[in-house]
Amino acid sequence: MESKFVYLQPTPVRIWHWLNAFGIVTLCISGAQIRFPEFVTICGSYRSAILLHNTAGIVVALSFSFWFFYYKWVSGALTSIYVPKMNELSYPLLRQVFFYFYSYFKGASSPFHATPDSKFNPMQKSAYLAIMFVIVPFVSLSGIALLNIGPVRQILLMVGGLQILVIVHFLLACILGAFLMTHVYLATLGSTPLAYFKPMWTGWEKVDHHHGTEHGTEEESGTVA
Amino acid sequence: MKSFYQNFYKNVFTVSVLALCCIFPQTGQADPGFSFGNASSDNQACLVCHADIDKVKSDKDLLNPGQFNHTTHAKFGCKTCHDTVTADHPKEGKVTRTTTCTNCHSDIAAEYATSKHSLNVPNCSACHNPHKVQKPDEISALTMTATCMNCHNYNKIKSTHAQWLPQTDLHLGAITCVTCHTKAKNYVVSVYVARRNVKTNASNPVIADYSYLSKKIGSQDIQYLVDRNRDDYISIEELKEFNNNSANKDLYLKAILTPTETSHAFQISDKSWNCTFCHASGPSSAQLTKMVLPNKDGTFTGFDVEKGTSITSLNAIPNFYMMGSSRNSLVNTIGGMVLAGGLIMPVGHGFIRFLTRRNRRKE
Repeated sequence: MESKFVYLQPTPVRIWHWLNAFGIVTLCISGAQIRFPEFVTICGSYRSAILLHNTAGIVVALSFSFWFFYYKWVSGALTSIYVPKMNELSYPLLRQVFFYFYSYFKGASSPFHATPDSKFNPMQKSAYLAIMFVIVPFVSLSGIALLNIGPVRQILLMVGGLQILVIVHFLLACILGAFLMTHVYLATLGSTPLAYFKPMWTGWEKVDHHHGTEHGTEEESGTVA
Repeated sequence: MKSFYQNFYKNVFTVSVLALCCIFPQTGQADPGFSFGNASSDNQACLVCHADIDKVKSDKDLLNPGQFNHTTHAKFGCKTCHDTVTADHPKEGKVTRTTTCTNCHSDIAAEYATSKHSLNVPNCSACHNPHKVQKPDEISALTMTATCMNCHNYNKIKSTHAQWLPQTDLHLGAITCVTCHTKAKNYVVSVYVARRNVKTNASNPVIADYSYLSKKIGSQDIQYLVDRNRDDYISIEELKEFNNNSANKDLYLKAILTPTETSHAFQISDKSWNCTFCHASGPSSAQLTKMVLPNKDGTFTGFDVEKGTSITSLNAIPNFYMMGSSRNSLVNTIGGMVLAGGLIMPVGHGFIRFLTRRNRRKE
């Protein structure tokens, strides 16, 4: 078995990822204080929590826009990377589920190997599709609406009022929080607990090359020794 | 008599200066003392002229009988305060008074004297018309704020508050000045019926008055607009029914957090600086809700509203929501379950991962 390094995460993606990561963690913490101020006081005063939450929200919304712009118009790989193909939703998806919930415990290695053009396994694609195309846009839009209640007041009343918007924002944030925990945990399932964290910092991922692997796209990617 | 005065002090919302130099068409010499027993008939004699715009010199001498008779002051009779009116009235010219607000409201006057307001506005009548004085729950919150705006400039107030208060416009629209600038012990979410422009769907902060609502409801009493079963109690379902009724497209429920009693020192309560006083789960400030409907005489009547209207119920008062506070317990439970779901992998998978760690040891 030989190892090689694949340049998996370009610099703009890494900047976006960590900006997003710190932003979302900040949003979760400050949001928890805004929602439950009698239990959470980590951000200091309530006003500080609001200012922090608003600022982080704007940063994440801009970061999301940056991500979308980059993948859609610069790399052009938005669809191929984030939208699973129909054939990926059958056997490859079941194979990945089987790996995570059975084979992994038996000591098998992942049937999927990331390449710059195919970074995510079918499970990841399905999850990211929901997160990046539904949850994050809507939690961002609802947050922006909460920041500008005056201008969007009539729209809010049409959908049931401010409380409905807050509930939508809160539940979407909970889904994002749940995803975050799963996301961080799954990132520790590499050959070492930090194996998947390093590429997101350096850009390069160490790939163990298995002869006869079922996923052959890695041969097409640029590699270094 | 003592309990009578206590009741008087408790109920009267404002200090009243009897500023009008009233002119009484009275034939006999005015009695200088109190006349609790026959105030009503005396008042009617005065109102023969003072309720008629053609018989008084200026608008300030004109009274609205409905509003005046509703006041506690009316029970004492005009002569109680206007005690120097003579038999020559109105020929004697300007009438001075020996009775002032402080004769009855000495405690409030003493409290007011400690405020900065008293330096610039020494007269009670600058804010309170003794012939219209009402209890806090009988006037609209917008009237409370409008009284302050007689002297204060809204834009200046807004810019001052914006230095520390997020969503300044929203806050100032959902509270009155005295909600914070008084040492109120308790608060009530006062819900009014306000008008909305049907064409533009724009909310108008003007509360729908009696005549508008009575035209709308026809032969029914205004209460029936919301209190459909006329039990003098507004349920959450009745509020939702009001919101969903297509006949009410021109109306909406406007809620404002108001104090149940006020002080006249106008000091800023410490809790007013603490956002979590309101923005906490189920704050005491949002527990009590009153539906406030206008009466024909210009006053308002408050109806008890089901508890939890502004905290746990969706769409009961769509326009009123205290961020981070009026949270719905069901939604919190759902949110908690979603977050717990996010722990399935780290905890469940992680536990089995730990148990099977030997299988993944590299050769």
